[in-house]
Amino acid sequence: MDPNRQGARASYVALSIFVALWILVPSAVRRFNREAFVEFQAPALHLLGKSRELATFWEKKSRSVEEMAAAGRDLARINAALEIQINKFEDIRRENVRLREITHYNVPAEYMSVVARVATRDSSSWWQRIVIRKGRKDGIRPGAPVVFGNTVVGRVTAVHLTTSEIDLVTSPGFRCTAYLEGDDQNHIVLVNGVASNSLGTAKARVSVIPRDYSMPAGQPARVFTTGMGGVFPSRLMLGYLDGGTYATQVGNFKESLLVPSRDLYNLQEVSVLVPLHQNPGEALMQGDQFQ
Amino acid sequence: MGWAWLFLLLATYPWLLGADLASDTLASSSLIFFVSGTCLVAPCRRLKRWQAVLLAACLGFLFEARRPIPDGTLALSLVAIAIFLSSNRQLIRNTPGMLWAAAIVNVGASLIWFLASSYGSPSPATDLAGQFFLQLLLSGVVGTLSLIPIALTQNAVLDRLNVPPAPDTP
Repeated sequence: MDPNRQGARASYVALSIFVALWILVPSAVRRFNREAFVEFQAPALHLLGKSRELATFWEKKSRSVEEMAAAGRDLARINAALEIQINKFEDIRRENVRLREITHYNVPAEYMSVVARVATRDSSSWWQRIVIRKGRKDGIRPGAPVVFGNTVVGRVTAVHLTTSEIDLVTSPGFRCTAYLEGDDQNHIVLVNGVASNSLGTAKARVSVIPRDYSMPAGQPARVFTTGMGGVFPSRLMLGYLDGGTYATQVGNFKESLLVPSRDLYNLQEVSVLVPLHQNPGEALMQGDQFQ
Repeated sequence: MGWAWLFLLLATYPWLLGADLASDTLASSSLIFFVSGTCLVAPCRRLKRWQAVLLAACLGFLFEARRPIPDGTLALSLVAIAIFLSSNRQLIRNTPGMLWAAAIVNVGASLIWFLASSYGSPSPATDLAGQFFLQLLLSGVVGTLSLIPIALTQNAVLDRLNVPPAPDTP
C-alpha cells in the first residue's frame, strides 16, 4: 500500500483516539487548555488597545493651533456648565447626608468599582461580547455586573489573568429580572438576550409583562434592575421597551423587545462592579465551562 | 525543521488578530471575519503531516479560546482537515486548487463553529437562516481573498526556515 495513504489512515485513527480521550478527559484539562490559549493572546490584545490610544494621541497632537484653541473654548464653556451642575449636586449631597442622618439609613457598600478599557468586541448570532483589559489580577470575578454610569452593559462571564470577557445585555446568555417604568405595582419581568437574526441592531427580550401593564404615554418605558438575585444592584437602567408590547402565545403575559440605553458596540470603557463578598451566582458561574 | 509549525503559527497570528480586528468593526452586524481555515491551506503543502496537525490544532484553539464554543470542536475538525490536505497534496499543488481549498475549508470550518455554537448556546434562536448563509458567504469570500497574502507570508517564513518547497508533482 502507498505509505502516504497508510500514514493518513494511521493519522485518522490517532485522531479518533484523541477525540475519544478529549471527550473523556476531566473538564479541568480542557479549561486549562482554553486558558493557556487565552493568555497567549492577551499581550496582543493589550498591545492593540494601547496602539489605538497611541494613534488617537498622535491624531490629536497633529491638530492645528486654531483647532486646539476652538476646542479649548468649547471645553471652557462645558466646564462652566459642569461647575454649575457640580454645585447643584453638592447641594443634593448635603441634603442626602442630612436625610440619611435622620433616617439612619446605611448605604450598602457591597461593590468595588473597577474601571476598565474595552480591548475588542466580538459578536455572532450566538454571542455578543466585549473583552476588557482588566482581569483576575485586578480583582475581577466571574458574574460581576458591568455598567457604564447607571446603565447596565452586561455581566462578566470569563475572567483571565489580565483580560475579562463580558456578555452584553443583548447576548443570548444574559438574564436578569427587572421593573418597568409606569408599573405602579412593581411586577417583576424577565430580561434575556436574543440571538440576533440579521444585520439589525441586537436587542433583548422582556417577558412576563403583566397583561394590564400600559406603557407611559409619549415616551418609551424604561426598564430597571430589581436588585433581586444579588447580581445587579437595584434601579440600574437596562434600556427602553421597543415600541409596543405583544401578547405571548399562551396569552397570560405580554412580551416586548428591549433596546439597550447605550450603543454597546461603541463603548470605550466600562465599570465592573465587583461584589466585596462572593454571592451564590458567582459560584454557579465558576462551574459553567462555556460562559 | 521540527519547530517550523510554531514559527509559522507566530507568523500567522497577526493575520488572525487582523481578522479579529475586522470582526470588531463588524460587531454590530454579528458577522465574523473567519480565516482560520484559510491559514491552514498553504502550510499543508510543505509541512510534514504531524506539523500540519499541530498547527491546525493551535489555529483552532486560538479561535475557540475567547468564544463560547464547546472545547476542541473547531480545533479537532481543523486537525482532520489538515490530515486530509497533507495526505492529498495533489489537490492543492497549484493556485486555483489552493483557492478552491481555501474557500471550501474556510466555509466548512465556519459551518462547524456555527453549528457548535448553536449546540452550546444557552437559548434557542429562530430565523437564523439568513445570518447563517451570510456568515458562510462571508467566510467563503474572505477565505478566498485572504489566501494569497496569507500564503505569501507563510511561504516566506517557511523559506527562511529552509523547509523544502512543495513538489510540483506530489
